[in-house]
Amino acid sequence: MSGDLGDLGRFAEPSLLILVSLSGEPKHGYAIMADVEELSGAPLGPGTLYAALARLEARGVIEALPAEDRRRPYRITGLGERTLRAQLEGLDAFVRTGLMRLGHPS
Amino acid sequence: MNWLARAILRLYPAAWRERYGHEVGDLVSRRRLRALDLVDLLGGAFDARLHPQMVPSLQLAVGAPAPTALTPMRPARPAYGAIATMNPGVLSRRSFMRRMLGAGIGLLSIEFLGGTLAFLWPPPAEGIGVEHRVGTIREILAASPDWARGTPYEFRPANAFLINVPAAKAMALGDAFEVADPGAGEILALWRKCPHLGCMIPTACETRSRFQCYCHQSTYNIVGEKLELGPAPRGMDRFPVRIGVDGAVFVDTREVISGPPKGVQTFVDPHPPGEGCA
Repeated sequence: MSGDLGDLGRFAEPSLLILVSLSGEPKHGYAIMADVEELSGAPLGPGTLYAALARLEARGVIEALPAEDRRRPYRITGLGERTLRAQLEGLDAFVRTGLMRLGHPS
Repeated sequence: MNWLARAILRLYPAAWRERYGHEVGDLVSRRRLRALDLVDLLGGAFDARLHPQMVPSLQLAVGAPAPTALTPMRPARPAYGAIATMNPGVLSRRSFMRRMLGAGIGLLSIEFLGGTLAFLWPPPAEGIGVEHRVGTIREILAASPDWARGTPYEFRPANAFLINVPAAKAMALGDAFEVADPGAGEILALWRKCPHLGCMIPTACETRSRFQCYCHQSTYNIVGEKLELGPAPRGMDRFPVRIGVDGAVFVDTREVISGPPKGVQTFVDPHPPGEGCA
């Protein structure tokens, strides 16, 4: 069973980026922001970041780790990994369909 | 920028701050904040207020991550929105809408901040609420020579009529009587705000030495006492008058002396008491 990020509305997109960012290793807020900015090229504001983190945590796709010096790392859960994988596979199929219709240049 | 971010953090609900306040406080202290980050933080405050049930209680993960098992039963909907973000440089409809919303919220908060600051600003150094120096008697007579013969002197900065009481009473009775140097006790500063509903009282009637409000015809004699005509509950309100050491007349608009009650008249002019100007 995997969760669905579709009902996150305008937080679906930042949530996906956050999950990708967390899938390597646990990270705290500042590191997530920097990583997401590098991943997507667009900055992620602190308000959006924490609104998305709260929703992801409430859905059980990420979990909080004990804080280290005011900074609390977050970790992706098993459910989160499955959800992310399903999302990315969906995207992958979408990308491949799109590229196929365009016709491969080779 | 940092103090502003901390101020915005106070707008979040208490439960949210309890849970995330430290982290976000740490985050904003490390990062060089842009204006858009502040707008984003403000937007998050609105979001947190709109969805108070969103804040999860803190349940720390212990031990190993939850066991991974089971492949997804159905493919989840792909988040197509992510594609737009992967393409920096292209302004999507969504990010355009978001920027406009951000700009709107930003503008609104600037207006709100401006309004708050304007409210906190110290009172102006003019108008009602300060002591005005009208000038010496000589200066007043230079500006309005008829004041010695009882014509009210219109002192606009305090929105008041300065009345030379003995001369004004004589004028109202039809006598030519000149008082070139009345003492402080013989000068009245009548506030031109009608005690009925606050309309501005115009200059004295042309043919009679009386004041009459345009709004509801409340009529006062030349020293501001209420006559029979009109709904005002009392005579015209006054400001304290004092003569300074250099002989200048001061009108203190920080204090308002209530006008004499209806029916109290220290002076009766020859016109019918139930009539106004003409």
